[in-house]
Amino acid sequence: MSESLPLAASLIYQIGATAAFLFLAAVGLVIILGMMNIINLAHGELMMMGAYAATITHHAGLPFWAAVIASFFVVAIFGAIMELTIIRRFYGRELGALVVTWGISLIMGQGAFLVFGPFMQAIKIPGGSFSYGAFSFSEYWIVLMLVSLLLVLALWLVYNKTTYGLQAKASMQNAEMARSLGVPTKRIYTLTFALGAGLAGLSGALLAPTATIAPFMGQQFVAPAFITVVVGGGANVISGAVGSGVLLALIKTPVGMALGAFSGTVALLIAALIIIRIMPDGISARLQRVFDRRVQKRQS
Amino acid sequence: MIQRSLRLIGGPADIGRTPLFWVGFAVAVAFFLLYPTQVSSFRASNVAYYLLNVPMGLGMALLWGYCGVLSFGHVAYFGIAAYLYGIIAGNMAGSSWGPLVGVGGGLLGCAIVAAIFGYFVFYARVQKWIIPILTLVFTLLLETFLGQTAGYQWRVGTVLLGGYNGMTGIPWFQLGGFVFEGYSFYYLCLGIVILTYFGLRMLMNAKFGQVVVAMREDELRTEMLGFDTRFRQCAVFVISAMLAGLSGLLYVQWGNYITPSQVGLLQAALPVVWTAVGGRTSLLAVVIATIVLNWLTYTLSSQGNQYAMVIIGGLLVVTMMFFPRGIVVMLAETIGRRPWRRRQAAEGRS
Repeated sequence: MSESLPLAASLIYQIGATAAFLFLAAVGLVIILGMMNIINLAHGELMMMGAYAATITHHAGLPFWAAVIASFFVVAIFGAIMELTIIRRFYGRELGALVVTWGISLIMGQGAFLVFGPFMQAIKIPGGSFSYGAFSFSEYWIVLMLVSLLLVLALWLVYNKTTYGLQAKASMQNAEMARSLGVPTKRIYTLTFALGAGLAGLSGALLAPTATIAPFMGQQFVAPAFITVVVGGGANVISGAVGSGVLLALIKTPVGMALGAFSGTVALLIAALIIIRIMPDGISARLQRVFDRRVQKRQS
Repeated sequence: MIQRSLRLIGGPADIGRTPLFWVGFAVAVAFFLLYPTQVSSFRASNVAYYLLNVPMGLGMALLWGYCGVLSFGHVAYFGIAAYLYGIIAGNMAGSSWGPLVGVGGGLLGCAIVAAIFGYFVFYARVQKWIIPILTLVFTLLLETFLGQTAGYQWRVGTVLLGGYNGMTGIPWFQLGGFVFEGYSFYYLCLGIVILTYFGLRMLMNAKFGQVVVAMREDELRTEMLGFDTRFRQCAVFVISAMLAGLSGLLYVQWGNYITPSQVGLLQAALPVVWTAVGGRTSLLAVVIATIVLNWLTYTLSSQGNQYAMVIIGGLLVVTMMFFPRGIVVMLAETIGRRPWRRRQAAEGRS
């Protein structure tokens, strides 16, 4: 008994940490995908940019949390510029947008290498760790889990309680109708892209202490982020990202603990292939259908 | 038979159908045939490297331009074929037919992996944007896997996989006693490029190709007309993966080594860049772009220029923004609208 309780706590902690990682890696991507139907392959590089911004400002003397928030704004501004100059031309051309953002990611990755060199001194993981039974727990990862929950709540509030959220959802559902009702759809798209980019930067900054700061660090987020998005689907992006983050963490954690981290990632890809074979539109569409059915039942 | 293949080659699936075009084409082929007689074997070997990438570019054009399905992970098949060839030919080092078995094994391996992958994505009818992402994830995982295969426990028969240092000492290609190296390897590459080009041009003008283009234009309508679109998309995916595998085979036969970075993110970008810059709806444009861009990358990076990747990325962005149908295709169209021809047309009308 005295052994099984710490084991359970450790398992829940591991799954929670993996789910938080997947959610953080994917959140910026899903906002842009769900609201604008643009797949941003420069997502990993935006996270890299956030990590660099946080590291540089932190080394310059800013406290860690202030550096994280600063990196949100730095990358959000960069995202706005990206939307205004390039992304704007690719609405309605999904594959074109994919390819052009990939070009941007190549420039950003190699550009960071040329400007900052191959390595940068990492940020020390804030907070210590404590142990319970035979297992140790990092305080920082527990904070990251809480931050992920806060982010979900904040995004829900933004998209359900603010004028911007309402207008963004209107532009997503029917851009022409929204425009004729006076919604400035162009500005909404710029804001949405900036928000998605900023969130990518924020996640990059939050994950910076747990990663090696290098120009091509964005690549390590590409696989988990995109698998989370693919499994989550595009119907209701935030619930999709949360649902697929938790589901994939439930698959990845035990496999990773038993067979090593790489097998865990392979299990992610295999799981994604099987899940899309069963639910081609992702978890969010399935959740939506279950929800709709329940509402109908209550009404009848 | 010959008449039929000529008719297929002359069909509407690619640019360049005028007699003048064929004269230009013949001159270009003659140039490549005579090139090695004028230069050192080192220069010829460089050009062979540009040529050996062409099948992969053509595979991308087939998949993306003609079928409308984008893959960011075609280098995975390049790597699978290359590693399988290395393993098989390396283990059969004593036999003069080992390399041929290796080629067969490499292509078969590509076809099997691509068919399994294609089954999951095409039979699930996933949205179009999911396929590039899953292929990209696949190639990244393959790179990670191959990267951690350092050490003696990672060996197949007598061949070490070699981790990030890669697999070395891979045998040349040979048929019986004849070994393809130096000039003969150059002609092997050239022959394969010409054969794949004409083969694909005929395939795309045949009924199969017309259905493939119809699927790109309107998948639902094609299916309603009674064609199994899922099977055909899967088939195109397998063909194009095998073409990438063909490039991989030629690559290891050219350099006798391969490293996991060949299936990494930077390499994965290249076939997409060649296809986009050339113009994905024309096989010939992709051939030209593949050769020119490989020459450009090689020249830039051999001068120690670290901006090569920035320039390639910038080229991709500029192409997608201003020449969405490809630079070579748009140039060809401009040449096709020569002023004297417009005058001729005007005289014809009056």
